[in-house]
Amino acid sequence: MRLIRAEVLKLVRRRGLMTWSLILTVGAVVVAETIVVALHAFNPAHHGPAGGANNLDNYMFLVSGLGTVAAILIGATAGTQDVGNGVFRDLVVTGRKRATLFNVRVPGALLVILPMVAAAFAIAVGGAFLFSGSLADPSWSDVAKYGEYIVASMVVNVVVAVGLASFASSRVVVGVLIAWNAIVGPLLAHISVLGSVRKGLDIAATQHFLPLHNGNTPGVTMTTGTALLVLAVWVLLFSSAGRWWTNRRDG
Amino acid sequence: METRTVTAMETVIETRALTKKFGERAAVNGVDLTVAAGVAFGFLGPNGAGKTTMIRTLLGLTQPTSGDVALLGLPQPAKRAEALARVGAIVEEPKFHPHLTGRENLKIVAAARDRAAEARIPESLERVGLAHRANDRVKTYSLGMRQRLGIARCLIADPALLILDEPMNGLDPAGILEMRRLIRAFVDEGRTVFLSSHLLDEVEKTCDQVAIVDQGVVVVQGAVGEIAATGDPTVLIEVDDAAAARRILDGRQIEEEGKALRIKLTAGVTPAELNRLLVTAGIGVSRLEPARATLEETFLSITSRLETNE
Repeated sequence: MRLIRAEVLKLVRRRGLMTWSLILTVGAVVVAETIVVALHAFNPAHHGPAGGANNLDNYMFLVSGLGTVAAILIGATAGTQDVGNGVFRDLVVTGRKRATLFNVRVPGALLVILPMVAAAFAIAVGGAFLFSGSLADPSWSDVAKYGEYIVASMVVNVVVAVGLASFASSRVVVGVLIAWNAIVGPLLAHISVLGSVRKGLDIAATQHFLPLHNGNTPGVTMTTGTALLVLAVWVLLFSSAGRWWTNRRDG
Repeated sequence: METRTVTAMETVIETRALTKKFGERAAVNGVDLTVAAGVAFGFLGPNGAGKTTMIRTLLGLTQPTSGDVALLGLPQPAKRAEALARVGAIVEEPKFHPHLTGRENLKIVAAARDRAAEARIPESLERVGLAHRANDRVKTYSLGMRQRLGIARCLIADPALLILDEPMNGLDPAGILEMRRLIRAFVDEGRTVFLSSHLLDEVEKTCDQVAIVDQGVVVVQGAVGEIAATGDPTVLIEVDDAAAARRILDGRQIEEEGKALRIKLTAGVTPAELNRLLVTAGIGVSRLEPARATLEETFLSITSRLETNE
Protein backbone atom coordinates (compact mmCIF):
# COMPACT_ATOMS: atom_id res chain seq x y z
CA MET A 1 0.00 0.00 0.00
CA ARG A 2 2.84 2.41 0.80
CA LEU A 3 4.29 1.98 -2.68
CA ILE A 4 0.89 2.66 -4.24
CA ARG A 5 0.53 5.81 -2.13
CA ALA A 6 3.98 6.85 -3.35
CA GLU A 7 2.83 6.37 -6.96
CA VAL A 8 -0.20 8.55 -6.31
CA LEU A 9 1.99 11.23 -4.72
CA LYS A 10 4.32 11.28 -7.74
CA LEU A 11 1.35 11.79 -10.07
CA VAL A 12 -0.79 14.25 -8.13
CA ARG A 13 2.15 16.58 -7.52
CA ARG A 14 2.48 17.13 -11.28
CA ARG A 15 0.58 20.36 -11.64
CA GLY A 16 0.43 20.33 -15.44
CA LEU A 17 -0.77 16.74 -15.64
CA MET A 18 -3.39 17.26 -12.96
CA THR A 19 -4.62 20.52 -14.49
CA TRP A 20 -5.04 18.98 -17.94
CA SER A 21 -6.62 15.83 -16.57
CA LEU A 22 -9.16 17.87 -14.59
CA ILE A 23 -9.89 20.03 -17.64
CA LEU A 24 -10.39 16.95 -19.82
CA THR A 25 -12.71 15.26 -17.33
CA VAL A 26 -14.58 17.53 -14.91
CA GLY A 27 -13.85 20.75 -16.81
CA ALA A 28 -15.16 19.48 -20.15
CA VAL A 29 -18.46 18.29 -18.69
CA VAL A 30 -18.97 21.45 -16.63
CA VAL A 31 -18.32 23.66 -19.67
CA ALA A 32 -20.59 21.55 -21.89
CA GLU A 33 -23.44 21.57 -19.38
CA THR A 34 -23.04 25.28 -18.72
CA ILE A 35 -23.23 26.07 -22.43
CA VAL A 36 -26.32 23.89 -22.97
CA VAL A 37 -28.03 25.29 -19.86
CA ALA A 38 -27.23 28.86 -20.95
CA LEU A 39 -28.49 28.26 -24.50
CA HIS A 40 -31.73 26.83 -23.18
CA ALA A 41 -32.15 29.70 -20.72
CA PHE A 42 -31.60 32.40 -23.34
CA ASN A 43 -33.47 30.79 -26.22
CA PRO A 44 -35.72 27.92 -25.06
CA ALA A 45 -37.59 27.92 -28.37
CA HIS A 46 -34.51 26.79 -30.31
CA HIS A 47 -32.59 24.95 -27.60
CA GLY A 48 -34.17 22.23 -25.51
CA PRO A 49 -33.44 21.47 -21.85
CA ALA A 50 -29.86 20.59 -20.90
CA GLY A 51 -30.84 17.23 -19.38
CA GLY A 52 -32.57 14.08 -20.48
CA ALA A 53 -31.40 10.89 -22.18
CA ASN A 54 -30.01 12.50 -25.34
CA ASN A 55 -27.94 15.02 -23.45
CA LEU A 56 -26.70 12.24 -21.19
CA ASP A 57 -25.39 10.48 -24.33
CA ASN A 58 -23.59 13.68 -25.35
CA TYR A 59 -22.10 14.21 -21.91
CA MET A 60 -20.98 10.57 -21.75
CA PHE A 61 -19.36 10.92 -25.17
CA LEU A 62 -17.29 13.74 -23.66
CA VAL A 63 -16.51 11.91 -20.40
CA SER A 64 -15.42 8.72 -22.16
CA GLY A 65 -13.55 10.38 -25.03
CA LEU A 66 -11.65 13.04 -23.13
CA GLY A 67 -11.44 10.85 -20.03
CA THR A 68 -9.63 8.27 -22.14
CA VAL A 69 -7.11 10.92 -23.17
CA ALA A 70 -6.59 11.80 -19.49
CA ALA A 71 -6.22 8.10 -18.62
CA ILE A 72 -3.59 7.70 -21.34
CA LEU A 73 -1.70 10.79 -20.13
CA ILE A 74 -1.71 9.54 -16.53
CA GLY A 75 -0.86 5.94 -17.45
CA ALA A 76 2.00 7.01 -19.71
CA THR A 77 3.38 9.28 -16.98
CA ALA A 78 3.07 6.58 -14.33
CA GLY A 79 4.90 4.17 -16.61
CA THR A 80 7.81 6.43 -17.50
CA GLN A 81 8.46 8.82 -14.63
CA ASP A 82 10.81 6.69 -12.51
CA VAL A 83 13.03 5.75 -15.42
CA GLY A 84 12.73 9.16 -17.07
CA ASN A 85 13.83 10.98 -13.92
CA GLY A 86 16.62 8.47 -13.25
CA VAL A 87 15.03 7.39 -9.95
CA PHE A 88 14.27 3.80 -10.94
CA ARG A 89 17.74 2.60 -9.98
CA ASP A 90 17.39 4.24 -6.56
CA LEU A 91 14.22 2.24 -6.01
CA VAL A 92 15.88 -0.95 -7.26
CA VAL A 93 18.77 -0.59 -4.82
CA THR A 94 16.34 -0.64 -1.91
CA GLY A 95 16.09 -4.37 -2.64
CA ARG A 96 12.52 -4.21 -4.00
CA LYS A 97 11.84 -6.45 -6.98
CA ARG A 98 11.55 -4.66 -10.30
CA ALA A 99 8.24 -6.47 -10.87
CA THR A 100 6.84 -5.00 -7.64
CA LEU A 101 7.92 -1.53 -8.71
CA PHE A 102 6.09 -2.08 -12.00
CA ASN A 103 2.98 -3.63 -10.44
CA VAL A 104 2.16 -0.59 -8.27
CA ARG A 105 2.02 1.77 -11.26
CA VAL A 106 -1.41 0.64 -12.50
CA PRO A 107 -3.27 0.94 -9.17
CA GLY A 108 -1.50 4.24 -8.55
CA ALA A 109 -2.64 5.63 -11.91
CA LEU A 110 -6.17 4.28 -11.45
CA LEU A 111 -6.45 5.91 -8.02
CA VAL A 112 -5.71 9.23 -9.73
CA ILE A 113 -7.86 8.98 -12.86
CA LEU A 114 -10.92 7.17 -11.50
CA PRO A 115 -11.97 9.85 -8.95
CA MET A 116 -11.72 12.52 -11.66
CA VAL A 117 -13.76 10.50 -14.11
CA ALA A 118 -16.22 9.58 -11.35
CA ALA A 119 -16.68 13.28 -10.57
CA ALA A 120 -17.21 14.07 -14.27
CA PHE A 121 -19.63 11.14 -14.53
CA ALA A 122 -21.58 12.33 -11.47
CA ILE A 123 -21.83 15.87 -12.85
CA ALA A 124 -23.00 14.53 -16.21
CA VAL A 125 -25.61 12.22 -14.69
CA GLY A 126 -26.70 14.89 -12.20
CA GLY A 127 -27.12 17.41 -15.01
CA ALA A 128 -29.05 14.92 -17.14
CA PHE A 129 -31.61 14.49 -14.34
CA LEU A 130 -31.56 18.02 -12.93
CA PHE A 131 -31.99 19.84 -16.23
CA SER A 132 -34.31 17.35 -17.96
CA GLY A 133 -37.24 19.80 -17.83
CA SER A 134 -39.91 18.62 -20.25
CA LEU A 135 -37.73 15.72 -21.46
CA ALA A 136 -37.82 12.21 -20.07
CA ASP A 137 -35.21 11.39 -17.44
CA PRO A 138 -32.53 8.95 -18.55
CA SER A 139 -33.04 5.37 -17.37
CA TRP A 140 -30.94 4.12 -14.48
CA SER A 141 -30.00 1.06 -16.51
CA ASP A 142 -28.45 3.37 -19.13
CA VAL A 143 -26.59 5.18 -16.38
CA ALA A 144 -25.28 1.87 -15.04
CA LYS A 145 -24.22 0.75 -18.53
CA TYR A 146 -22.37 4.01 -19.13
CA GLY A 147 -20.68 3.52 -15.77
CA GLU A 148 -19.50 0.04 -16.78
CA TYR A 149 -18.35 1.30 -20.18
CA ILE A 150 -16.34 4.17 -18.73
CA VAL A 151 -14.71 2.06 -15.99
CA ALA A 152 -13.76 -0.63 -18.55
CA SER A 153 -12.39 1.98 -20.92
CA MET A 154 -10.35 3.75 -18.22
CA VAL A 155 -8.89 0.54 -16.77
CA VAL A 156 -7.84 -0.94 -20.11
CA ASN A 157 -6.33 2.33 -21.33
CA VAL A 158 -4.37 2.88 -18.12
CA VAL A 159 -2.99 -0.66 -18.20
CA VAL A 160 -2.07 -0.46 -21.89
CA ALA A 161 -0.42 2.94 -21.37
CA VAL A 162 1.59 1.76 -18.34
CA GLY A 163 2.65 -1.42 -20.16
CA LEU A 164 3.66 0.38 -23.34
CA ALA A 165 5.48 3.04 -21.34
CA SER A 166 7.99 0.41 -20.24
CA PHE A 167 9.19 0.26 -23.84
CA ALA A 168 8.73 3.80 -25.13
CA SER A 169 8.75 7.42 -24.08
CA SER A 170 5.55 8.95 -22.69
CA ARG A 171 5.08 11.13 -25.81
CA VAL A 172 5.21 8.11 -28.09
CA VAL A 173 2.78 6.20 -25.86
CA VAL A 174 0.33 9.11 -25.74
CA GLY A 175 0.51 9.62 -29.51
CA VAL A 176 0.09 5.94 -30.35
CA LEU A 177 -2.80 5.34 -27.95
CA ILE A 178 -4.74 8.46 -28.92
CA ALA A 179 -4.34 7.47 -32.57
CA TRP A 180 -5.45 3.92 -31.71
CA ASN A 181 -8.53 5.02 -29.76
CA ALA A 182 -9.59 7.84 -32.08
CA ILE A 183 -8.75 6.47 -35.53
CA VAL A 184 -7.22 3.02 -35.94
CA GLY A 185 -9.34 1.05 -33.47
CA PRO A 186 -12.75 2.42 -34.59
CA LEU A 187 -11.72 2.00 -38.23
CA LEU A 188 -10.79 -1.66 -37.73
CA ALA A 189 -14.01 -2.24 -35.78
CA HIS A 190 -16.02 -1.08 -38.80
CA ILE A 191 -14.20 -3.15 -41.45
CA SER A 192 -16.76 -5.92 -41.70
CA VAL A 193 -14.51 -8.13 -43.83
CA LEU A 194 -12.42 -8.72 -40.70
CA GLY A 195 -15.41 -10.59 -39.26
CA SER A 196 -15.09 -12.02 -35.78
CA VAL A 197 -11.40 -11.07 -35.59
CA ARG A 198 -12.72 -7.66 -34.60
CA LYS A 199 -13.92 -9.13 -31.33
CA GLY A 200 -10.30 -9.05 -30.24
CA LEU A 201 -10.25 -5.25 -30.30
CA ASP A 202 -10.35 -3.58 -26.89
CA ILE A 203 -12.54 -0.85 -28.34
CA ALA A 204 -15.10 -3.41 -29.54
CA ALA A 205 -15.07 -5.08 -26.13
CA THR A 206 -15.59 -1.86 -24.18
CA GLN A 207 -18.35 -0.72 -26.57
CA HIS A 208 -20.26 -3.87 -25.67
CA PHE A 209 -21.13 -2.15 -22.39
CA LEU A 210 -22.70 0.92 -24.05
CA PRO A 211 -26.50 1.24 -23.80
CA LEU A 212 -28.04 0.37 -27.15
CA HIS A 213 -30.06 3.34 -28.39
CA ASN A 214 -29.72 6.42 -30.56
CA GLY A 215 -26.23 6.67 -32.01
CA ASN A 216 -24.75 3.88 -29.88
CA THR A 217 -24.59 1.11 -32.44
CA PRO A 218 -21.76 -1.29 -31.83
CA GLY A 219 -19.81 -2.33 -34.93
CA VAL A 220 -19.12 -5.71 -33.35
CA THR A 221 -21.52 -7.72 -31.22
CA MET A 222 -20.36 -10.14 -28.55
CA THR A 223 -21.50 -11.62 -25.27
CA THR A 224 -20.61 -10.00 -21.96
CA GLY A 225 -18.39 -12.99 -21.19
CA THR A 226 -16.47 -12.53 -24.44
CA ALA A 227 -16.12 -8.80 -23.83
CA LEU A 228 -14.75 -9.41 -20.34
CA LEU A 229 -12.40 -12.09 -21.68
CA VAL A 230 -11.07 -9.78 -24.41
CA LEU A 231 -10.47 -6.99 -21.90
CA ALA A 232 -8.76 -9.42 -19.51
CA VAL A 233 -6.46 -10.57 -22.32
CA TRP A 234 -5.53 -6.97 -23.16
CA VAL A 235 -4.84 -6.22 -19.50
CA LEU A 236 -2.78 -9.37 -19.02
CA LEU A 237 -0.89 -8.95 -22.28
CA PHE A 238 0.23 -5.37 -21.71
CA SER A 239 0.90 -5.71 -17.98
CA SER A 240 2.95 -8.88 -18.57
CA ALA A 241 4.92 -7.28 -21.39
CA GLY A 242 5.64 -4.20 -19.29
CA ARG A 243 6.66 -6.30 -16.28
CA TRP A 244 8.89 -8.51 -18.43
CA TRP A 245 10.70 -5.54 -19.92
CA THR A 246 11.03 -3.84 -16.52
CA ASN A 247 12.58 -7.03 -15.13
CA ARG A 248 15.11 -7.08 -17.95
CA ARG A 249 15.99 -3.42 -17.57
CA ASP A 250 19.31 -2.52 -16.00
CA GLY A 251 18.57 -0.03 -13.24
CA MET B 1 19.25 8.06 14.98
CA GLU B 2 19.76 4.58 16.31
CA THR B 3 22.77 3.12 14.56
CA ARG B 4 23.32 -0.52 13.84
CA THR B 5 26.75 -1.68 14.85
CA VAL B 6 28.95 -4.01 12.86
CA THR B 7 31.76 -6.19 14.10
CA ALA B 8 35.14 -4.55 13.59
CA MET B 9 36.64 -7.15 11.27
CA GLU B 10 33.45 -8.18 9.46
CA THR B 11 33.75 -8.11 5.68
CA VAL B 12 31.04 -5.99 4.09
CA ILE B 13 31.96 -6.37 0.43
CA GLU B 14 33.61 -9.43 -1.02
CA THR B 15 33.94 -10.26 -4.69
CA ARG B 16 35.63 -13.26 -6.24
CA ALA B 17 36.66 -13.25 -9.91
CA LEU B 18 33.87 -10.77 -10.61
CA THR B 19 33.56 -10.07 -14.31
CA LYS B 20 31.16 -7.92 -16.29
CA LYS B 21 31.49 -7.91 -20.05
CA PHE B 22 29.78 -5.74 -22.63
CA GLY B 23 30.21 -7.75 -25.77
CA GLU B 24 33.87 -8.70 -25.87
CA ARG B 25 34.99 -5.80 -23.67
CA ALA B 26 35.39 -6.53 -19.96
CA ALA B 27 34.46 -3.45 -17.93
CA VAL B 28 35.15 -5.44 -14.75
CA ASN B 29 37.66 -8.20 -15.21
CA GLY B 30 38.11 -10.91 -12.60
CA VAL B 31 38.03 -8.55 -9.63
CA ASP B 32 38.80 -9.92 -6.17
CA LEU B 33 37.89 -7.22 -3.69
CA THR B 34 37.59 -7.33 0.07
CA VAL B 35 36.28 -4.40 2.07
CA ALA B 36 36.33 -4.65 5.84
CA ALA B 37 33.62 -3.11 7.99
CA GLY B 38 34.01 0.27 9.61
CA VAL B 39 36.36 1.89 7.09
CA ALA B 40 36.16 4.46 4.34
CA PHE B 41 37.23 2.56 1.24
CA GLY B 42 38.28 4.46 -1.88
CA PHE B 43 37.82 2.90 -5.31
CA LEU B 44 40.15 4.76 -7.65
CA GLY B 45 40.70 4.64 -11.33
CA PRO B 46 40.86 6.78 -14.43
CA ASN B 47 37.71 7.47 -16.43
CA GLY B 48 36.43 4.32 -18.08
CA ALA B 49 38.32 2.08 -15.67
CA GLY B 50 35.12 0.28 -14.67
CA LYS B 51 34.34 1.95 -11.34
CA THR B 52 30.67 2.66 -11.97
CA THR B 53 30.13 -0.73 -13.61
CA MET B 54 31.64 -2.32 -10.53
CA ILE B 55 29.24 -0.39 -8.28
CA ARG B 56 26.25 -1.23 -10.47
CA THR B 57 27.23 -4.90 -10.39
CA LEU B 58 27.63 -4.87 -6.61
CA LEU B 59 24.15 -3.41 -6.24
CA GLY B 60 22.48 -5.79 -8.67
CA LEU B 61 21.64 -3.00 -11.10
CA THR B 62 23.34 -5.07 -13.76
CA GLN B 63 24.03 -8.79 -13.73
CA PRO B 64 27.67 -9.94 -13.64
CA THR B 65 28.89 -12.10 -16.48
CA SER B 66 30.63 -14.36 -13.97
CA GLY B 67 32.02 -14.38 -10.44
CA ASP B 68 30.62 -14.05 -6.94
CA VAL B 69 29.48 -11.09 -4.88
CA ALA B 70 28.67 -10.96 -1.18
CA LEU B 71 27.31 -7.83 0.51
CA LEU B 72 27.31 -7.68 4.31
CA GLY B 73 28.24 -11.35 4.25
CA LEU B 74 25.15 -12.24 2.22
CA PRO B 75 25.58 -13.89 -1.19
CA GLN B 76 24.14 -11.97 -4.13
CA PRO B 77 21.70 -12.12 -5.76
CA ALA B 78 20.28 -14.91 -3.56
CA LYS B 79 19.94 -12.63 -0.49
CA ARG B 80 19.61 -9.41 -2.40
CA ALA B 81 16.65 -7.88 -0.55
CA GLU B 82 18.08 -8.74 2.85
CA ALA B 83 21.45 -7.17 2.04
CA LEU B 84 20.17 -4.07 0.25
CA ALA B 85 17.84 -3.26 3.13
CA ARG B 86 21.00 -2.25 5.00
CA VAL B 87 22.77 -0.54 2.09
CA GLY B 88 22.46 3.08 1.01
CA ALA B 89 23.80 4.00 -2.41
CA ILE B 90 24.29 6.87 -4.80
CA VAL B 91 25.01 5.60 -8.31
CA GLU B 92 26.47 8.14 -10.73
CA GLU B 93 24.89 11.52 -9.95
CA PRO B 94 21.98 11.53 -7.50
CA LYS B 95 18.67 11.79 -9.39
CA PHE B 96 15.27 12.82 -8.05
CA HIS B 97 11.77 13.64 -9.20
CA PRO B 98 12.28 17.37 -9.82
CA HIS B 99 8.61 18.24 -9.32
CA LEU B 100 8.60 16.81 -5.79
CA THR B 101 10.07 18.41 -2.69
CA GLY B 102 13.15 17.00 -1.03
CA ARG B 103 11.01 15.48 1.71
CA GLU B 104 8.59 13.93 -0.79
CA ASN B 105 11.46 12.40 -2.73
CA LEU B 106 12.65 10.72 0.45
CA LYS B 107 9.09 9.52 1.14
CA ILE B 108 9.02 7.83 -2.27
CA VAL B 109 12.14 5.81 -1.47
CA ALA B 110 11.10 5.24 2.16
CA ALA B 111 7.93 3.59 0.83
CA ALA B 112 10.14 0.99 -0.83
CA ARG B 113 12.00 0.35 2.42
CA ASP B 114 10.85 -0.83 5.84
CA ARG B 115 8.34 1.19 7.88
CA ALA B 116 11.05 2.72 10.09
CA ALA B 117 12.61 4.43 7.06
CA GLU B 118 9.92 7.11 6.88
CA ALA B 119 10.44 7.99 10.54
CA ARG B 120 14.12 8.64 9.80
CA ILE B 121 13.40 11.29 7.14
CA PRO B 122 13.42 14.40 9.39
CA GLU B 123 16.64 13.38 11.09
CA SER B 124 18.32 12.47 7.81
CA LEU B 125 17.45 15.87 6.34
CA GLU B 126 18.71 17.57 9.49
CA ARG B 127 21.93 15.59 9.34
CA VAL B 128 22.81 16.80 5.83
CA GLY B 129 21.72 20.39 6.56
CA LEU B 130 18.66 20.38 4.30
CA ALA B 131 15.86 20.58 6.87
CA HIS B 132 15.19 24.23 6.00
CA ARG B 133 14.80 23.41 2.28
CA ALA B 134 12.99 20.10 2.71
CA ASN B 135 9.68 21.50 1.48
CA ASP B 136 11.12 23.12 -1.65
CA ARG B 137 10.92 21.36 -4.99
CA VAL B 138 14.15 19.57 -5.91
CA LYS B 139 14.32 21.40 -9.24
CA THR B 140 15.31 24.49 -7.23
CA TYR B 141 18.23 22.68 -5.55
CA SER B 142 21.88 23.22 -6.48
CA LEU B 143 24.02 20.21 -7.40
CA GLY B 144 25.61 20.33 -3.95
CA MET B 145 22.20 20.20 -2.31
CA ARG B 146 21.22 17.25 -4.50
CA GLN B 147 24.38 15.44 -3.42
CA ARG B 148 23.42 16.03 0.20
CA LEU B 149 19.84 14.95 -0.45
CA GLY B 150 21.30 11.80 -2.00
CA ILE B 151 23.16 11.16 1.24
CA ALA B 152 19.94 11.77 3.21
CA ARG B 153 18.22 9.22 0.97
CA CYS B 154 20.93 6.72 1.90
CA LEU B 155 20.56 7.51 5.61
CA ILE B 156 16.85 6.67 5.78
CA ALA B 157 17.93 3.03 5.43
CA ASP B 158 20.17 3.41 8.51
CA PRO B 159 22.79 1.69 6.37
CA ALA B 160 25.64 -0.48 7.56
CA LEU B 161 27.22 0.16 4.14
CA LEU B 162 27.13 3.30 2.01
CA ILE B 163 28.17 3.01 -1.62
CA LEU B 164 28.85 6.44 -3.08
CA ASP B 165 29.78 6.95 -6.71
CA GLU B 166 31.83 10.15 -7.11
CA PRO B 167 30.19 11.89 -4.12
CA MET B 168 32.44 14.97 -4.44
CA ASN B 169 31.45 15.64 -8.06
CA GLY B 170 30.29 19.18 -8.62
CA LEU B 171 30.84 20.28 -5.04
CA ASP B 172 32.57 23.54 -4.18
CA PRO B 173 35.47 23.44 -1.69
CA ALA B 174 33.14 23.98 1.27
CA GLY B 175 30.88 21.22 -0.02
CA ILE B 176 33.82 18.85 -0.42
CA LEU B 177 34.94 19.61 3.14
CA GLU B 178 31.40 18.99 4.41
CA MET B 179 31.12 15.72 2.46
CA ARG B 180 34.48 14.57 3.85
CA ARG B 181 33.31 15.40 7.36
CA LEU B 182 30.08 13.47 6.83
CA ILE B 183 31.89 10.42 5.48
CA ARG B 184 34.30 10.38 8.40
CA ALA B 185 31.36 10.75 10.81
CA PHE B 186 29.67 7.73 9.21
CA VAL B 187 32.85 5.70 9.68
CA ASP B 188 33.08 6.84 13.29
CA GLU B 189 29.55 5.49 13.80
CA GLY B 190 30.70 2.07 12.63
CA ARG B 191 29.32 2.30 9.11
CA THR B 192 31.40 1.39 6.08
CA VAL B 193 31.71 3.84 3.21
CA PHE B 194 32.74 2.57 -0.22
CA LEU B 195 33.33 5.49 -2.54
CA SER B 196 34.64 5.94 -6.02
CA SER B 197 36.25 9.21 -6.92
CA HIS B 198 38.63 10.66 -9.44
CA LEU B 199 39.70 13.27 -6.87
CA LEU B 200 42.71 11.38 -5.60
CA ASP B 201 43.67 14.03 -3.10
CA GLU B 202 40.21 13.81 -1.55
CA VAL B 203 40.37 10.03 -1.33
CA GLU B 204 43.74 10.30 0.36
CA LYS B 205 42.26 12.71 2.90
CA THR B 206 39.02 10.78 3.40
CA CYS B 207 39.73 7.07 3.05
CA ASP B 208 41.50 4.48 5.17
CA GLN B 209 41.74 1.82 2.48
CA VAL B 210 41.98 2.07 -1.26
CA ALA B 211 41.88 -0.07 -4.36
CA ILE B 212 43.24 1.22 -7.63
CA VAL B 213 41.45 -0.09 -10.68
CA ASP B 214 42.48 0.22 -14.28
CA GLN B 215 40.89 -1.32 -17.36
CA GLY B 216 38.55 -3.35 -15.18
CA VAL B 217 41.32 -4.86 -13.08
CA VAL B 218 42.13 -4.06 -9.44
CA VAL B 219 45.83 -3.30 -9.65
CA VAL B 220 46.58 -2.70 -6.01
CA GLN B 221 44.57 -2.74 -2.80
CA GLY B 222 45.48 -1.83 0.77
CA ALA B 223 45.84 0.96 3.32
CA VAL B 224 46.21 4.42 1.75
CA GLY B 225 49.51 5.09 3.53
CA GLU B 226 50.99 1.76 2.51
CA ILE B 227 50.09 2.18 -1.12
CA ALA B 228 51.41 5.73 -1.23
CA ALA B 229 54.68 4.45 0.24
CA THR B 230 55.15 1.93 -2.57
CA GLY B 231 56.38 4.60 -4.98
CA ASP B 232 60.08 5.57 -5.28
CA PRO B 233 61.10 8.10 -2.58
CA THR B 234 61.87 11.65 -3.66
CA VAL B 235 63.56 14.69 -2.17
CA LEU B 236 62.79 18.36 -2.62
CA ILE B 237 65.84 20.61 -2.85
CA GLU B 238 66.33 24.35 -3.20
CA VAL B 239 69.71 25.50 -4.44
CA ASP B 240 71.32 28.81 -5.48
CA ASP B 241 72.10 27.56 -9.01
CA ALA B 242 69.43 25.22 -10.37
CA ALA B 243 71.05 24.86 -13.79
CA ALA B 244 74.37 23.77 -12.24
CA ALA B 245 72.53 21.36 -9.95
CA ARG B 246 70.78 19.78 -12.96
CA ARG B 247 74.19 19.29 -14.64
CA ILE B 248 75.68 17.66 -11.53
CA LEU B 249 72.66 15.39 -11.11
CA ASP B 250 72.43 14.55 -14.79
CA GLY B 251 70.80 11.16 -15.39
CA ARG B 252 68.43 11.41 -12.46
CA GLN B 253 64.69 12.12 -12.80
CA ILE B 254 64.25 15.80 -11.88
CA GLU B 255 61.05 17.85 -11.94
CA GLU B 256 60.59 21.52 -11.13
CA GLU B 257 58.14 22.35 -8.35
CA GLY B 258 58.05 26.10 -7.98
CA LYS B 259 61.47 27.21 -6.72
CA ALA B 260 62.36 23.65 -5.73
CA LEU B 261 63.52 20.63 -7.65
CA ARG B 262 61.95 17.21 -6.98
CA ILE B 263 64.50 14.46 -7.45
CA LYS B 264 63.57 10.80 -7.53
CA LEU B 265 65.98 8.74 -5.45
CA THR B 266 67.07 5.63 -7.25
CA ALA B 267 68.21 2.52 -5.41
CA GLY B 268 71.15 3.08 -3.08
CA VAL B 269 71.15 6.88 -3.31
CA THR B 270 70.44 8.69 -0.06
CA PRO B 271 69.53 12.36 0.52
CA ALA B 272 72.86 12.81 2.36
CA GLU B 273 74.80 11.60 -0.68
CA LEU B 274 72.85 13.96 -2.91
CA ASN B 275 73.69 16.85 -0.56
CA ARG B 276 77.38 15.94 -0.58
CA LEU B 277 77.46 15.87 -4.39
CA LEU B 278 75.95 19.35 -4.65
CA VAL B 279 78.03 20.96 -1.91
CA THR B 280 81.23 19.45 -3.27
CA ALA B 281 80.41 21.05 -6.63
CA GLY B 282 80.11 24.43 -4.91
CA ILE B 283 76.32 24.67 -5.08
CA GLY B 284 74.61 26.18 -2.04
CA VAL B 285 71.76 24.01 -0.72
CA SER B 286 69.15 25.98 1.23
CA ARG B 287 66.57 23.16 1.49
CA LEU B 288 66.71 19.37 1.34
CA GLU B 289 63.48 17.64 2.32
CA PRO B 290 62.64 13.95 1.87
CA ALA B 291 59.15 13.79 0.36
CA ARG B 292 56.64 11.01 0.69
CA ALA B 293 54.96 10.03 -2.55
CA THR B 294 51.30 11.05 -2.64
CA LEU B 295 48.57 8.62 -3.55
CA GLU B 296 48.17 10.62 -6.74
CA GLU B 297 51.78 9.98 -7.71
CA THR B 298 51.42 6.30 -6.96
CA PHE B 299 48.16 6.18 -8.89
CA LEU B 300 49.66 7.89 -11.91
CA SER B 301 52.76 5.74 -11.72
CA ILE B 302 50.67 2.54 -11.62
CA THR B 303 48.22 3.50 -14.34
CA SER B 304 50.91 4.90 -16.64
CA ARG B 305 52.94 1.73 -16.10
CA LEU B 306 49.93 -0.25 -17.29
CA GLU B 307 49.60 1.94 -20.35
CA THR B 308 53.32 1.38 -21.09
CA ASN B 309 52.87 -2.37 -20.77
CA GLU B 310 50.05 -2.44 -23.33
